[in-house]
Amino acid sequence: MSADPSPAPTAAPAAGEIGLVEARDFHSRQPFAFESGQTLPGFTLRYETYGELSPTRDNTILICHALSGDHHCAGQHAGDRKPGWWNNLIGPGKAVDTRRFFVVCANVLGGCVGSTGPSSVNPETGQPYGVAFPFVTIRDMVRSQKLLLDHLGVASLAAAIGGSMGGMQVLQWGIEYPLFTKRMLAMATTARESAQAIAFNEVGRQAIMQDPAWNRGDYPREGGPRVGLAIARMMAHITYLSDASMDRKFGRRKKDTADRTGNSFDVQFEVESYLRHQGQSFINRFDANSYLYITRALDQFDLAAAYGSLEQAFAPVLGETLVLGFTSDWLFPPEQNRAVALALLRAGKRASYAELDTDLGHDSFLLESPELYDLVRGFLERSEKRVSDFSI
Amino acid sequence: MSQPAEKRTVDMRTIGAWVEPGSRVLDLGCGRGQLLDYLIQTKEVVALGVDFDFAKVSECVRRGVTAYQGDLLDCMRAFPDGHFDRVICSRTLQELQGDPAAVVNEALRVGKSVTVGFINHAFWKNRIATLLHGRKVRNALDPRAWHESRPSNPLSVADFEDFCATQGITITRRAHLLGDWHSPCPFVPNLLAGYALYDLKR
Repeated sequence: MSADPSPAPTAAPAAGEIGLVEARDFHSRQPFAFESGQTLPGFTLRYETYGELSPTRDNTILICHALSGDHHCAGQHAGDRKPGWWNNLIGPGKAVDTRRFFVVCANVLGGCVGSTGPSSVNPETGQPYGVAFPFVTIRDMVRSQKLLLDHLGVASLAAAIGGSMGGMQVLQWGIEYPLFTKRMLAMATTARESAQAIAFNEVGRQAIMQDPAWNRGDYPREGGPRVGLAIARMMAHITYLSDASMDRKFGRRKKDTADRTGNSFDVQFEVESYLRHQGQSFINRFDANSYLYITRALDQFDLAAAYGSLEQAFAPVLGETLVLGFTSDWLFPPEQNRAVALALLRAGKRASYAELDTDLGHDSFLLESPELYDLVRGFLERSEKRVSDFSI
Repeated sequence: MSQPAEKRTVDMRTIGAWVEPGSRVLDLGCGRGQLLDYLIQTKEVVALGVDFDFAKVSECVRRGVTAYQGDLLDCMRAFPDGHFDRVICSRTLQELQGDPAAVVNEALRVGKSVTVGFINHAFWKNRIATLLHGRKVRNALDPRAWHESRPSNPLSVADFEDFCATQGITITRRAHLLGDWHSPCPFVPNLLAGYALYDLKR
């Protein structure tokens, strides 16, 4: 497609891997009206694509990321040690097969990894928007990504896939663009957060807002409420794991450097060290105001309230949905995933519910599991043509 | 096709003949979705299967049969009265861990009719296996020894007809099949039928 010189032999991807990828930016020049009624004169979405769009332009799979995720879901950035966050699922010959599908993933509107969000510069003031940025909803994220897909020439989505907040977007895709969205695969998600999930988000927001450096959202790019954001991340990270998985990973093991007597508030246990590391690495890649905006979008998402009932919410859906819950997910527990599938079924839609027995908690959707891969592959690759062999 | 495999498709033929084209069907204990796949293709039914096993539900999804992984009663309780035209309970009743009567009654609530199929435990060969040889019954569906098979709650034609009578359930159709699970069994079904199918209404 391009006239770029061939990459050096060392850059050739390993078998089954996408290899080096680069993000691109989509600039929408038309005014964008948020659900809140506020508008922006335009916006940018940073995105990545893998695979090729087919001549019929109907082989696109949209990956929707979760709260702390971004557009880099697969392949490798030059110089990075780690691949994209869902690299185990996406690639040539993998469950989301890039030899067959054109995979698109964009950083959400309101995010902070290249897409327009509160850390972007407000052209009117020359300063970051901060809390002057419009309130963002899951539906705003979906509507902005539709403009990106139109720009890319995508005629329809073979599937939208996502876990957690990504799953919320997937459900919204099916409702908002029923003809466009042929299949929806939502994992570890919910149609509305429980009080407990909202409560955790609120503690995270308070940690940020009570940090004096937050300064009502007005802070320099490299500064801001780093302590508050790190604490928010440490706490949230616990909700993505499970008691069993933490016990297996850390138990009560102590750091080698730990004071033998334990009479110190320095790091003693490995779990403390791990959480501190999670908090520290997060503040280097995430914006505190984005964290406030996106957790607010999560909390506000309520399909039943927005449309009268879940069945009414799903009434426009035309595509087929697969909902996948995880037994040890206590943030968006199996019950809430099941409720989504059952409401779709009551509304007369094609929907399935599967539940994977794992002990990794909410983050189970990122699990390296052949069973998960088989399910995803089976859902995505089935053509509408029928087989007629009924032997067992 | 081997003989056991052929025997396993017995419900496809009979139930296929009973199912109305285009109807909404719920299959309790749908396994890998073979029956629903057959009904979708031959009768264009709107199908939902229920099974507790992830691998089986995964296989349903691969085939294009929508399925719900979980408890039969929990699933049915999520639907309003008469939501399904037909609820199928094929070779499921004898394996239920909980309360089979509750499952049948709930099926009669969410389904306008209920189809039940089961191996007749009082079939003469099964009686011989137990009485004469003193052995666990083995058949095409459950050829395994006791220690390799799931717990089961065997029932007979007479047991089931008694159950329907006491629960006030109307039997609208019966199919009793001989030991080959194919030829009709004309008389003494409790002794001579290897397989039984019923259509029920409240």
